[in-house]
Amino acid sequence: MSDLKTIVKEKLAGGADAFLCLKNEEGTVLPALITDADSPDLEFVDVGESRYPLGRILIDLQREYPDKRFAVLVRGCDERALIELSKLEQIDLDRLVMVGVACSTEEAEACGCPRPYPGDIALGEKVEAAPGREVIDEVESLGDAERLGWWKEQFSRCIKCYGCRNICPMCFCKDCALENPHLVEPGVIPPDFPSFHIIRALDMTGRCIDCGLCEEACPADIPLRSLYRKMQDIMEDKLEYRAGGSVEEKNPLSFLGTEHDIEKLEQE
Amino acid sequence: MAEESKKNDEEDIRILAFLCNWCSYAGADLAGVSRFQYPPNVLDVRVMCTGTISPYFVIKAFQEGMDGVLIAGCHIGDCHYLKGNYMTAKRFQVLREALKFLGLEEGRLRLEWVSAAEGEKYADVIRSFTEEVKALGPSPLRGKKAAKAEVGA
Ligand code: SF4
Ligand code: SF4
Ligand code: FES
Repeated sequence: MSDLKTIVKEKLAGGADAFLCLKNEEGTVLPALITDADSPDLEFVDVGESRYPLGRILIDLQREYPDKRFAVLVRGCDERALIELSKLEQIDLDRLVMVGVACSTEEAEACGCPRPYPGDIALGEKVEAAPGREVIDEVESLGDAERLGWWKEQFSRCIKCYGCRNICPMCFCKDCALENPHLVEPGVIPPDFPSFHIIRALDMTGRCIDCGLCEEACPADIPLRSLYRKMQDIMEDKLEYRAGGSVEEKNPLSFLGTEHDIEKLEQE
Repeated sequence: MAEESKKNDEEDIRILAFLCNWCSYAGADLAGVSRFQYPPNVLDVRVMCTGTISPYFVIKAFQEGMDGVLIAGCHIGDCHYLKGNYMTAKRFQVLREALKFLGLEEGRLRLEWVSAAEGEKYADVIRSFTEEVKALGPSPLRGKKAAKAEVGA
């Protein structure tokens, strides 16, 4: 099996203008954009165990360089993010070459990823993992009042650092509802209950690709991923859509649809 | 004492109703003109189409201490803008389930289709929704900002 360095060189020789991945310089992991085969960074490119939402960088790169073709290293979650971002008009898949990495068994189990591998795998071996349902089950075992109290307790730890939003591969808005003073009062910690977290949950519905980076980043250990995972279950159950799946299928909340769809929905 | 304060709470129930200009708002008007009796706990917000109602508005209403939120618009097929209420129907499903998962009682949020000719239906909807919300009591999300908004003011 070839290594990342060889693949980067191949892609650069094969028509990509630059390769976006991670590099590890003596223990410091950073995004790297390799533009030619002589780049000193090439020595440090590394799949490693770290994850970073490279799609966020790609959005800017594709905008800045509309005639360039980029290659990018993707795990399963990165691929799902790029697919969903293309439907949101943020990424142009036609100008992109994805080089897939399958996560290792340990990585996949630690993450609890719903699909720890991309469509085409260039590096690593495909393994399956199962997303955890413990938090969702726990919440659903409670009655209304206890549920509300449970969430209130979780959200009361929030220090409003915006880490969840800042790391999210699916957040790209210039104007964020979480900073709208009419929705979330500025300067108040913890943020208003439940608006801050429920707004983020609603905005992630049909959009979150379940990478878990938000929960990993949260300094307050709030079970964000489970909240958004539940929202995706709702989306699938009610509107038959799951983010990050097929490139063609459209998010039902992004178009009006037909009378038939609505009648079906209302009959339930 | 406790009995009395519970009673006051019930009377203080506040409901925010988003009414579509082209149908339910006119339906509400007709209900009034026809002198159908319905409870006075409702604060109306007239919108040009239910499709303009962001789920944020509903969250905001609860955040501000509303005990129930009603969205009323044109029947499917009758939207003045043809398909605006398709979006309403879809968003509503997601919002309702999200609030359920959070632990807000399901009965506090309702979607109804009421045409301009359905004054009586409007009065019925308000009556039954008010009853339902009264039975649930004040919203557990009433916080520091609650109890300020005056209904009927
Ligand atoms: S899991 Fe969190 S960080 Fe990842 S896409 Fe969903 S909301 Fe964004
Ligand atoms: S990362 Fe955690 S603490 Fe920071 S804003 Fe998000 S939920 Fe709150
Ligand atoms: S105009 Fe009444 S719901 Fe659209």
